Amino acid sequence: MSLPSLVPLIGVADVVIGLSLGSRLFLIAVGLSLIFGVLGVLNFAHGGFYMLGAYVTLAVVTGLIDNFWIAAVAGALAVGVVGATIEFAAIRPLYDRVDADLDQLIVTFGFVLVIHEAVRFIWGSGSYSIDPPDVFNFSVSLGGSTFSAYRLVVIGLAIAVLAGLWLFITRTYFGSLVRGTSSDREMASMLGVDVPRLYTGVFFLGSVLAGLGGALSAPLQSTSPALGDQVIIDAFIVVVIGGLGSMSGAFVGAMLIGMMQSLGPQFISAGSIAIPFLAMVIVLLFRPEGLFGGIGE
Amino acid sequence: MSATTTAGGRVREFVSAAADGWTRERFGVLGALGLILLAFGPSFQVYLFTDFLVVALFALGFNLLYGYTGLLSFGHGLFYAGGAYGVAIVLRDLGPVFADIVGSGISPLLTFVVGGVVGLALVVGVAVPVGWLSVRLEEIYFALITLAFGMLGYSLIIQDPAGLTNGTDGIIVLLGSVDIGGSSFRIGARRTYYALSVVVVLAATYGAWRVVNSPFGTVCKAIRESPDRASALGIDVRHHRWMTFILSAAIVGIAGVLRAGLAGVASPGLTHWSTSAIAVIATVIGGATYFSGPIVGAFVFLYIRWAISRFPTLEAYWELFFGALLIAVVLYFKQGTVGGLLLLRDRLLGDDGDGGETDAGGDGEAPDGDGDSGGAGATVPDDETRTDRGDDS
Repeated sequence: MSLPSLVPLIGVADVVIGLSLGSRLFLIAVGLSLIFGVLGVLNFAHGGFYMLGAYVTLAVVTGLIDNFWIAAVAGALAVGVVGATIEFAAIRPLYDRVDADLDQLIVTFGFVLVIHEAVRFIWGSGSYSIDPPDVFNFSVSLGGSTFSAYRLVVIGLAIAVLAGLWLFITRTYFGSLVRGTSSDREMASMLGVDVPRLYTGVFFLGSVLAGLGGALSAPLQSTSPALGDQVIIDAFIVVVIGGLGSMSGAFVGAMLIGMMQSLGPQFISAGSIAIPFLAMVIVLLFRPEGLFGGIGE
Repeated sequence: MSATTTAGGRVREFVSAAADGWTRERFGVLGALGLILLAFGPSFQVYLFTDFLVVALFALGFNLLYGYTGLLSFGHGLFYAGGAYGVAIVLRDLGPVFADIVGSGISPLLTFVVGGVVGLALVVGVAVPVGWLSVRLEEIYFALITLAFGMLGYSLIIQDPAGLTNGTDGIIVLLGSVDIGGSSFRIGARRTYYALSVVVVLAATYGAWRVVNSPFGTVCKAIRESPDRASALGIDVRHHRWMTFILSAAIVGIAGVLRAGLAGVASPGLTHWSTSAIAVIATVIGGATYFSGPIVGAFVFLYIRWAISRFPTLEAYWELFFGALLIAVVLYFKQGTVGGLLLLRDRLLGDDGDGGETDAGGDGEAPDGDGDSGGAGATVPDDETRTDRGDDS
């Protein structure tokens, strides 16, 4: 394959689609990474949270208020409340155990099943889709290819979330508590930080981000109960490649995987879905701290 | 705990008397009788019990790693599928060859046996490098790398770059009929396959039990309790975990061979992480610190699922029940079902501890389930409300 014949294959649309896929992955992965970095909990149910965010948004848009943005905020907050409740009721009792990590992983896996079935119970097994909000419901033509303008909005919002989180963690008082607790929980506790409450707060924030990811991608994909199981594996790949606990790593990792999902099939016919998992294995073996930055970045 | 009320004392007396003389041998005979009787039961029950045996072996193999060395794998579906695909490929590609060599009479059986051996060899061949790489990591990172290996296998089977696995459709497994001296029987017939599964599962379980109770198994338990302390005693923790990984994969591979014949197909779904999760669910519900835990857990898993399926309105939501059960067991009763049964036994028998094995939740096919839980039986009554670390004392 020579280079000139390859270049025209990559349209602007492919890049935009890749980045928008990456953006939704980033919103799940960053919450997952934040929760792991601070609490040491790998939340298997995070894909379920993402799916729940999409469903609540759909339900609000179709049933209550016909305003996508209000519905998205409602979806994100509802997921945050669910997440905080789960942390308080089922994860908090486990922190002091010897094998806390694995017990927490198993408990959150239990919630994968519970959320999946609860969603099926409430909304059924069918799939739903909605249109993007009217303001952005048009196509953009650029460089000979067209794509939905809403994708650009999602990319912009993901960048805004990254910037906002970064400012929040590095510049605010609460952010400094989070950083301090993440690097030494006992010392923070001795200095008067209410660690359990902080943990619930961080879990709430991480869940809100997953819910927001689900809400924002509701117009981009069809929402079905299988959605959670699909995205959680992608999110695991992203946080491993980016580094568990690293926010900028989650961003770069998510964009990498998003681009790979969008562009990959054009270049590698066989084995393309295996590549992310191979990358995950290699990163875990040779750079367990991830490719980008360490814990707490 | 001594008898305080007369009624309670009488119950205890009665149970002690009933349990008196329940030796291991008697349990073995009773269990064997039960297994033989079951072969004449309704066809569906025979099928369901065979299903249970296969899942039990799957979970048992998984738990050698989790329960005995403390490594939680989310990728054992890879080995489950390895066994299934090994036997399926041999049956598909070599069946006619064997028929030419030994004649069509016994070739189906021979092909199945050879396929099983090939499947097992394939699994071990995969597990040696995968295990060697995986045991470098611990805890969450181990769970993640096994998940990645499992999904890597899933991707390769789905995309089928070598043209062996028939992509998303999987491979149909046709077991055929055996003709010996005029009499003929189908290997895949439910009762025949049940008998075959009983023999294989019992043999594999016995083998695993021997290993667990060998010096090697004792070292594994030491690693589970405290890797650092084991390492300080001069144990090569990583090497032991590697060896256990291979053994665990091999047992799961045998279960995979049986699964292929039972289901009639080797499908890519076997490699998916959600299949690996079945072993996790069964083991945790049964009680990971007991040898019989995964067996009892598989029993609970399959029979409760069957019971739920009797109610059409509930059938669609059986996962909800197991999700909730999983959460409750981890939070409140880490010993699982086997721990609960042992607790019940100690309550009923008073505190004598060394009574006969009454934890026959696995229908007597794991009579010596508490080979590693002798200590647990004694400590359980003390911390019945909220224990947080299984039975390690």
